[in-house]
Amino acid sequence: MSLNIRDILKKYTMVFALIAVIIFFWVSTDGKILFPQNINNLISQNAYVFVLAAGMLLCILTGGNIDLAVGSVVCFVGGIGAVVMDKHINVWVAVAIMLIGGALVGVWQGFWISYVKVPPFIATLSGMYAFRGMANVVMQGMTIGISDETFLNVFGGGADCYVPDFFHGEGLNITCMTTGIMVVLIYAVLVIKNRMDAQEKGFEMAPFYSDVAKIAAVGASVLWIFYKLAKYKGIPAGLIWIAVVLIAYGYITTKTTIGRYLYAVGGNEKATRLSGIDSRKVYFFAYINMGLMAGLGGILTIARASGAQPTFGQGYEMDAIAACFIGGASASGGEGGIFGVIIGAVLMGVINQGMSIMGISPNYQKVVKGIVVLVAIIFDVLSNKKKK
Amino acid sequence: MAKFLENIKKNAMLIVLVLVYVFFVVMTEGKMFSPLNFNALITQNAYVFILATGMLMCMLTGGNIDLSCGSFVCFIGAIGGILMVVKELPAGVSIFVMLLVGVVYGCILGFLVAYVDIPPWIATLAGYLAFRGWGTALLSENSSTGSIAPFPQTFLSIFSGKIFETPINELNIVCVAVGVIASVIVVAVNFLTRANRLKKGYEADSLVSVIVKSTLSVAVIMLFAYKLALAGGIPTVLIWVVAIVLIYSFITSKTTLGRYFYTIGGNKEATRLSGVDTKKIMFFAYLNMAVLTVITSYIVIARFQAANSTAGTNYEMDAIAACVVGGVSAYGGSGSVFGMVVGATLIGVINLGMQLLNVDADKQKIVKGIVLLGAVVFDILAARKNANK
Repeated sequence: MSLNIRDILKKYTMVFALIAVIIFFWVSTDGKILFPQNINNLISQNAYVFVLAAGMLLCILTGGNIDLAVGSVVCFVGGIGAVVMDKHINVWVAVAIMLIGGALVGVWQGFWISYVKVPPFIATLSGMYAFRGMANVVMQGMTIGISDETFLNVFGGGADCYVPDFFHGEGLNITCMTTGIMVVLIYAVLVIKNRMDAQEKGFEMAPFYSDVAKIAAVGASVLWIFYKLAKYKGIPAGLIWIAVVLIAYGYITTKTTIGRYLYAVGGNEKATRLSGIDSRKVYFFAYINMGLMAGLGGILTIARASGAQPTFGQGYEMDAIAACFIGGASASGGEGGIFGVIIGAVLMGVINQGMSIMGISPNYQKVVKGIVVLVAIIFDVLSNKKKK
Repeated sequence: MAKFLENIKKNAMLIVLVLVYVFFVVMTEGKMFSPLNFNALITQNAYVFILATGMLMCMLTGGNIDLSCGSFVCFIGAIGGILMVVKELPAGVSIFVMLLVGVVYGCILGFLVAYVDIPPWIATLAGYLAFRGWGTALLSENSSTGSIAPFPQTFLSIFSGKIFETPINELNIVCVAVGVIASVIVVAVNFLTRANRLKKGYEADSLVSVIVKSTLSVAVIMLFAYKLALAGGIPTVLIWVVAIVLIYSFITSKTTLGRYFYTIGGNKEATRLSGVDTKKIMFFAYLNMAVLTVITSYIVIARFQAANSTAGTNYEMDAIAACVVGGVSAYGGSGSVFGMVVGATLIGVINLGMQLLNVDADKQKIVKGIVLLGAVVFDILAARKNANK
């Protein structure tokens, strides 16, 4: 039994770290960080972290490869979008242009990385500068405002970017609360169904109480978050995008062949290649996908700020990489998952938000983030060493 | 003819450098060729040479880089500003303290990379972010403008200005004399090397090629000496650059330690198994990088006569590009100080040329990004071709 507890502690170290960090900021901000409005901001302001980290996860899975250019690409794509919308072109055309633009950047970088074998950090370092420069050129160094209400509402900017309450609850958004309850129910059903499947096929199963504990813990936190959101303005649009991306990537990484390939290439590239998988295509896929996510990140970023600026996206690569490593993705590839990314991204979000509420200057925020990344990676490397 | 082609191939980057230079001379209508811009080429780009030297040592060990050096230049500058301007400590003490901070950082970084096996780009990415933030914070806490000045004259004269300065357009005799001495030394070394190799029965370059090489070297050195003499004399930073380049050229080509850097980059496991402490070498590479970054910081704050929060922005890019353009492999194990010098000069020429042409900073970023990528692609394709032979 004592061994069991240690296993749980080890497996969920980062969850406990997250709880500790939340408690720390709860105390040092006099509880402000858990105000409904701040929970809402935590999600809306850090939507980009979730989206970019999901893309980064796929790159890291293929062997610890990263994309240093994402911050610049977010700015570049956002700049294009803002300029296009400024010319009163249809919003959805603009959105399509941004997504395609992001994907094309991914094709460009992915080509050099997978087919020419340029080391990823050099290829994307080059992109980090070039796309930052191009973003400046596109925006001509100026801030471009976005006034289109539809765009802002759908992608999480402006004052009304919330799912409207169909039931018109007083002081509590009933739609939001109902959604929360449904999410928990669906989650519970999925866990139980998985369990029954495993039982049928005779797989090894976790003890029953652990599944119950899982449902209780996840259910309680989800309900609590939705309760807070319901007390504010309801479900923010950003949350919907986060959910869509995370569910899609959760599915890709665990249930599809291409997902398996990503892990296989990261685990042993040569063996994967020799077993007939074109590893180049896998890298290529990972980077195109990263570009696409950077495109979505750009959309969310300019919507949140109601405009695009040439300085946007600085340090975003850091947030995304940090979220992955904190979430247990291995710097040598082949290990990591979406659940970890969620924990990592929430942790980065809490740190971002907590430091902002405490009024710590952006300069020191950079220092703290740098240290957090370093600690996460040291932890990862050391725990891997121990395993060996 | 075959030999001629081979020579061209071997010196491809040198030829590219000349072409790019001529391109900018034409585009700037000769401005680039003026004495003042010869001086600017050296004083404005001294940082590229010094950082690229450190980066070379890191890259040799297996394509490892240091992304934090630009931010660290800013951070060390801020510390220097606080020590010399705010606390008014003597220059010597401050220089020592700054160096000490660099050594501490180098040890931490080296330890993490070499002994904890943290991938260098992550360890230094953390530094990239943290030191820019910390440096900026220190500067804004100690000055309302976010920039600390003026630095004491002693400090400035060690790391900037000119030696035996004379007015512009008056021929500086010392400078010319140094040029002549340098030329004589280069020619002597060229011929002695050949004689030595012949004596030991090694393969040596033909007499003609040694003569051609010597003539070209002398021509370049004398051109620089003449132009710099007209621009007021030898810039102090040139001495620093030449000293560092010579020292590292010696280390990489003539010492056992230098050989280890190449063998680790070539095959780390084999090197370790043959009894070399590879961790120590990796540690040394990053410690060395930090020390050279501190020296760069001295030069940068002396040139701007102030410590700024923007100091060192994108320097890591220039240093990496200089190495890669100069033929240092992105996978480690090959590259030379001479190649790096050619690469750094090329980056310097591009920097200065774009500045003279008033290309704005954004487009400069684009060009630099493309140059870096282009150089790596060239390196990889060339290596692939060689492997196919």
